[in-house]
This record gives sequence, structure tokens and C-alpha cells, in this order.
Amino acid sequence: MRIEKLSKQYQNGSKPLVVFNDFSLSCQEGSITALLGPSGCGKTTLLRLIGDLEKADGGSINKELSEEGPVSYLFQEPRLLPWHSVLTNVELVLRPFMENKSERVQKAMEFIEIVELSDYYRFKPQQLSGGMRQRAAIARAFAFPGRIMLLDEPFQSLDALLRQSLVAAFVKLWSLDKRTTVYITHDLQEAYLISDAIIKLSSKPMGVLKEFQITTDRSLREPADSQFLDLVGQFYAS
Amino acid sequence: MPRSTFRTKIVTVITICLLLGLWHLGSMLLDAAVILPTPHSTLVSVWKLLQYKPLSLHLLTTIGRALQSFLIIIILGGILGVAAGYNKLVAAALQPVVVLFKATPVMSIILLAFIWFTSGTVPIFSAFLMGFPVMFVQVEQGVHQISSQLLEMATMYRFSQKERLVHLVIPSLAPSFITGAKASLSMVWKVVIAAEVLTVPRYGVGSRLHLAQINLETAEVLAWTLIAILLTAAGDLIFLALLRLPQRIRQLKIKEAV
Repeated sequence: MRIEKLSKQYQNGSKPLVVFNDFSLSCQEGSITALLGPSGCGKTTLLRLIGDLEKADGGSINKELSEEGPVSYLFQEPRLLPWHSVLTNVELVLRPFMENKSERVQKAMEFIEIVELSDYYRFKPQQLSGGMRQRAAIARAFAFPGRIMLLDEPFQSLDALLRQSLVAAFVKLWSLDKRTTVYITHDLQEAYLISDAIIKLSSKPMGVLKEFQITTDRSLREPADSQFLDLVGQFYAS
Repeated sequence: MPRSTFRTKIVTVITICLLLGLWHLGSMLLDAAVILPTPHSTLVSVWKLLQYKPLSLHLLTTIGRALQSFLIIIILGGILGVAAGYNKLVAAALQPVVVLFKATPVMSIILLAFIWFTSGTVPIFSAFLMGFPVMFVQVEQGVHQISSQLLEMATMYRFSQKERLVHLVIPSLAPSFITGAKASLSMVWKVVIAAEVLTVPRYGVGSRLHLAQINLETAEVLAWTLIAILLTAAGDLIFLALLRLPQRIRQLKIKEAV
């Protein structure tokens, strides 16, 4: 996916707020790109533009053939339907793609199993903990055949241990079906464990400060290995 | 709402006993059945009313009026509330009407209606005018309270129009619809009876209240009042039971499946 010369501004009273001005970025097909940058620099807006929730003022977002079509979005909040069970929440997004109900349920259950919620598939969101809800949302995002995955700090509100297990669940699911993923986070370590490329962004208007490629196999990365420490050094030096 | 425990129930019973005691004491002190009959003579009066032949006719007529009014309120209030929630122009058009309905004293509405309509229609019309704004405002606010986050999620995950309606809009609106219906129902009872008192149609609890009052049958006035209270309470209970019905059916189905 190539983002070219994107521009977008909001009218904020009399003076316009320029979020993007000639912003360009390319994301390798079938890879995970992490975006790190100051709060309010427009990362969420970028995801919304990629996901077609908003329109850009100028520029273009060119998707590869394999990336055309619906988009899976993992929000900061789980955004589950509170009156439906975990199963129904996941099964609902499969409806446009699968006619047969029992097939849909089976498919949904597969994903619910991977995120380790099989014992809770009949529970409603309010009966689950925050981490479990976000797991259900992950299952939904992967069950939905979105060609691009957009993640907006989905693990941010959770404690460290829970984060680790959710990151693991995410990587597991992603490895089964490698979709182009753009991922916003504030956590460099998390970005290191998950992504193929890390982009350091500047704000107002948004620009790419530096790009880091991580080529080591995901299974060989450790939370505090030497490569990570190198990355930290480079990241903050740039 | 705090759960009722054995202790809270005892306190409630004590309060009721105290009120009854005060009533009894008051009637003894006054010693004038015209002003305040004893609880006992009121109960006797209720008993007499229950044996009184056209009682069911009076009750059913009042219930019928209340239900007609209630039905019109939930249908019109529901439809217009949704329309106003989604469309600013509809909301702007209806706002003065709702403000007017809300601000007009009940008695003015009843008296005016009595000039325009026959006595049987006045209670239905007045109760509609009083109950409609309650339902309307609730439903309109309900539309505004549909989570924009969930709406965005539905767009993102390509929900069809039907799915959006069935799985997002209707479940989101249900609580405000129920709150509106419940509040307007209890209002409808009171207004229907008040209108009957003022217009004295041939049948109706309010008409009997009025007749008992002009005959200075205070015990009977209290007896009809008691019946009106029971009617409202029964209405609320039936309404709650209807609400729980789908849940009950689901539970039964689950039991059968097990």
C-alpha cells in the first residue's frame, strides 16, 4: 500500500488545523507496519483515511490488488455489541460472506478458540474483563475477511502481562493469514515484537522522521534482546 | 435500585401501618364520616363497590380509554421521536408543539377538550396530550444516545441496513422506548380519571368519583380512589410482566434444550 502526497485539514474556528501536508508512506504488502509518534499527531486520522471512514482533501492511497476490499479495524475500545454474546458478535461480521449459519458459527468459534475464549463464548461483553473483551474484538477483526488490518492502540488500556498475552494472540492469528497491517502504538517494545517496520512520526503536519526495518524472525525476538536495545538507542537518537 | 431485604420490607410494612393508624386516629378525632371516614368504613365501601353490578363496566370503560390513549402515544411518540432524532428539521418542527403540550395545565386541556369533544373522548384526548411529550422526548433522546462508536464499527464491518437496524438501532432504542412507555402509562391513568371527573361521562371510575363526591359519600370517594390506585399498580405490573415475557420464553427454551 502506498500513501502518496496525502493532505487533510480540519477547520478549527478561524485557523485551519493541518494534519497532513504532502504526507507519503509505503507499507509492504503482507507486513506489519508500526506507527509511533506524539499524541494528537494524526495517527488515528491516518487509519480512518485508510479505512475510508473519512475522506482526504488531496493525495491518494493506492492499495495493492490483494489489499482491495473491506478493512478490519481494531479500535482502542473493544466496541462489541453489549446485548450480544461473544459468539454472536464475531458471527455477525461473517454474515455478508457466508450464507450458512452453522458454517459461520463454526468459523467464529475457530477464532474464539485461538484467542482462548472458548469457555466464554456465550458470555455478554459486560460479563467479561477488559482484556477478554479486547480478545473478543481481536477474534472479530480476524474473522472478518478484511484485506487490510488497522490497529489503533488496541492493547493500550491493559496491564503489562495481559498485553503480552494479547500481543501473542495477535501474532499467532496474523501468522495464519498475513494481511497488510498498520498498527498504532506508543510502546516501542510492543512494536519491536510485532512489526516488520517501525515508523517514527513527527506532528503538525505529520511527517516521517525515520524508518526502521526489523528483519529478524518474530519467533527469535525477545523483549529485551540486544537488537531491541540497539533499536531503542537509534530510535531516540534520531 | 437497592434490593428489598427482609428488613426493608418490615420498614415498609411499619410505614403502611403508621399511615393507617394516623388515618384512623384522625377520623376518630374528627368524628365526622363526611370529612374523613374510618379505614374500616372505607373498606366496607370498597366491598360494596365490588358487589355493585356495573362495576366492571366502569372499570373496563376507564381501562379502555387509558389503553387507547396509551396505544396512540406509544405509536405516534415512537414514530415521531425516531423521526425527530434522525432529522433536525422534524425536531425543530415538533419542538414548539411539545413545549406547548408540556406547559399547558392538565385542567385547561381537559376543559378545552370538553368544549370540542363529547365527554367519552375528552379523557382519551387529554391523556394523549399529556403523555405524548414524555414518550416523544425519551425516544428522541434515545436516538441521540445510540453509540457513535458502535455505528462506526457497524460501518467498518459492513453491516447491511437490516443488520444495523436489528442488531444496533433497535436494541439501543429499546431502553428509552420502555422508559417512555412506562412513564406515559402512569400519567395516562391519572389524566383519564381526572378528565372523567370533570366531564362525567356515563361510565368511568372518574364519573363515579365525581358522583360520590357531590353526594358527600366520602367513604365511596376513598373507595374509588383505592380502586384507581390498584388499577394503576396492576397496569404497571402487567407492563413489567410483558417486558419480561421474551426473557422468560428464552429461559424456557433453554430449559427445554437442556
